[in-house]
Amino acid sequence: MERFAFLGRFARNRGALAGALVILGVAMAAILAPLFFPTDPLRIVAQPELWPGEDPAYPLGTDSLGRDMLAMLVHGARATLLIGLFASAVATTIGVGVGAIAGYFGGWVDEISMRSSELFQTIPNLIFVLTIVVILGSTLQNIVIAIGIVSWTPIARLTRAEFLALRDREFVQACRSMGMGDLGIILGEILPNALPPVIVLSSLVVAGAILFESAVSFLGLGDPNVASWGRLVGDGRELIRSSWYICAIPGVAIMVTVLCLNLVGDGLNDALNPKLRDR
Amino acid sequence: MQRKDPLAGPRASRPAHAHEAGLEARGPVRLPLEVTDLSTTLFTRRGEMKAVEGLSLAVGAGETVALVGESGCGKSMSALSIMRLLPEPPARIVGGSVRLNGRDIVPLPEEAMLDIRGKEIGMIFQDPMSSLNPVATVDKQISEVLMAHTGLGRFQARARAHELLEQVGMPDAGRRLDAYPHQLSGGMCQRVMIAMAIACSPSVLIADEPTTALDVTVQAQVLTLLKSLQAEQGMAMIFITHDLGVVAETADRVVVMYAGRKVEEAMVDDLFEAPLHPYTAGLIGATPVPGAARAERLADIPGMVPPLNALPAGCAFAPRCPRVMDRCRIERPALTEPAPGRRVACFATGTDTA
Repeated sequence: MERFAFLGRFARNRGALAGALVILGVAMAAILAPLFFPTDPLRIVAQPELWPGEDPAYPLGTDSLGRDMLAMLVHGARATLLIGLFASAVATTIGVGVGAIAGYFGGWVDEISMRSSELFQTIPNLIFVLTIVVILGSTLQNIVIAIGIVSWTPIARLTRAEFLALRDREFVQACRSMGMGDLGIILGEILPNALPPVIVLSSLVVAGAILFESAVSFLGLGDPNVASWGRLVGDGRELIRSSWYICAIPGVAIMVTVLCLNLVGDGLNDALNPKLRDR
Repeated sequence: MQRKDPLAGPRASRPAHAHEAGLEARGPVRLPLEVTDLSTTLFTRRGEMKAVEGLSLAVGAGETVALVGESGCGKSMSALSIMRLLPEPPARIVGGSVRLNGRDIVPLPEEAMLDIRGKEIGMIFQDPMSSLNPVATVDKQISEVLMAHTGLGRFQARARAHELLEQVGMPDAGRRLDAYPHQLSGGMCQRVMIAMAIACSPSVLIADEPTTALDVTVQAQVLTLLKSLQAEQGMAMIFITHDLGVVAETADRVVVMYAGRKVEEAMVDDLFEAPLHPYTAGLIGATPVPGAARAERLADIPGMVPPLNALPAGCAFAPRCPRVMDRCRIERPALTEPAPGRRVACFATGTDTA
């Protein structure tokens, strides 16, 4: 009953519903990519720079080397979405961990963790990501870790704020009066109450992570074995004045996906935020 | 900690002061709760505030002691001190002992307290709606307490939670197990809180204004429930309230607090019949009496409780007291025992010689 109520509130936001459907479509394409295009998408299959629609076998055309744009786009969705999800998971894990401990215990623990999070915030994000990737090496995991390390601070601050507000609430006091320990209270009592806004922010971090990865790949620092959307844009940039579609198609895919993720984030906020709920 | 045998200690054999009336016949009993000279201080930037000072209190099994006073007089701080649930910093117990079933819990480490809270001593809070976790079901919240303190598994705990809900008179208990707090009324929430507090049959129950947030009919139900549970399990109960009507209905003995100190202690009937301390008299005078003439104005106590960091040198109540004497402003009256089981800290009424 509760679950359906949640879906109902989410679906009331039309934009969020549309966004969720598009993301679902992209995710399906990513999952089913090997079914549609069983061969390696990076294989040269036709003559280079076929414009979209020129050859019905390659509806989105081919790139400068003669690779199928559609196959690369569908396979690229896998890499792009996975990077977004995992980077967001890394950022959320670090952020919730640090924020929960800082907010619950307060005092010098709070002081130290918040000052160090500020240290992270002072470094320009993209440069920070690039530095980490260059130091660790351009593999998919390292890019995910680098984006996670850069994106955890807002999540930590939000979690801390929620914990600060919740830790003095009466039900926490009541739990303490029943003999529950700190860990039990943090994980079992406060965290479930603090999660809704954090989930919203995490969904937005997915979108941010996709953009970061695109930037990294565009600059040629991406994983050379993975055809993510950012890399497709980067590959096409030399031909941008003649065959601009090579950049534009993956670029539009990034834009639409990020937009839809933001819409989903908004919808989650509407659905999860108790203040906006009309009981 | 250092004591070898709590029973052999000098304090344990001494019958609790002010307790003769109820328990003398049973001889030297190990009382469920015996608070001696408890002092709690708040260390703040604006100075030290003595939130509780020299509080002594003993509660026997099956007995209800009401802790009465205005807001800010140290009732809740006393309760939190006894539970060792003070916000530290700024608050800290600076002296005295809290003996729970004979064992002093003041020096115990926090880990040991985790085991004691909820098992030997339970607490019910003022606002039942906000005392329950809004995102957990009733079953989960009760089971958590049970599983923490007993060896029960998940399913046994659920069965026991069901029993407890029935015991606290929850209508349709089986269905309410899976309810969330916002689906319950205030009275039902308080029943859940009570079920959680008594889940492990604690020997002491502290009820911090358990009925203040409820409407009057529900209040009566909750009071009746608490009384009957207490009779069943023989719990010692501390009842914190500022509602003298509730005191008259539930308490055996009353402790009146003012500015962190005990100013009067008496059996409930004696207190209402002849309050000794002017503050107690003021509180009783400020309570509406049904059937009194309509035109009659309720008496009030002028002024406010003084801030704890600016207590007057003498009696803390002196600035508001109708019977104030010169001596009250200079010297602080000590507790005296004008009659057995009756204590008062006032120069004007006590047979004070100190």
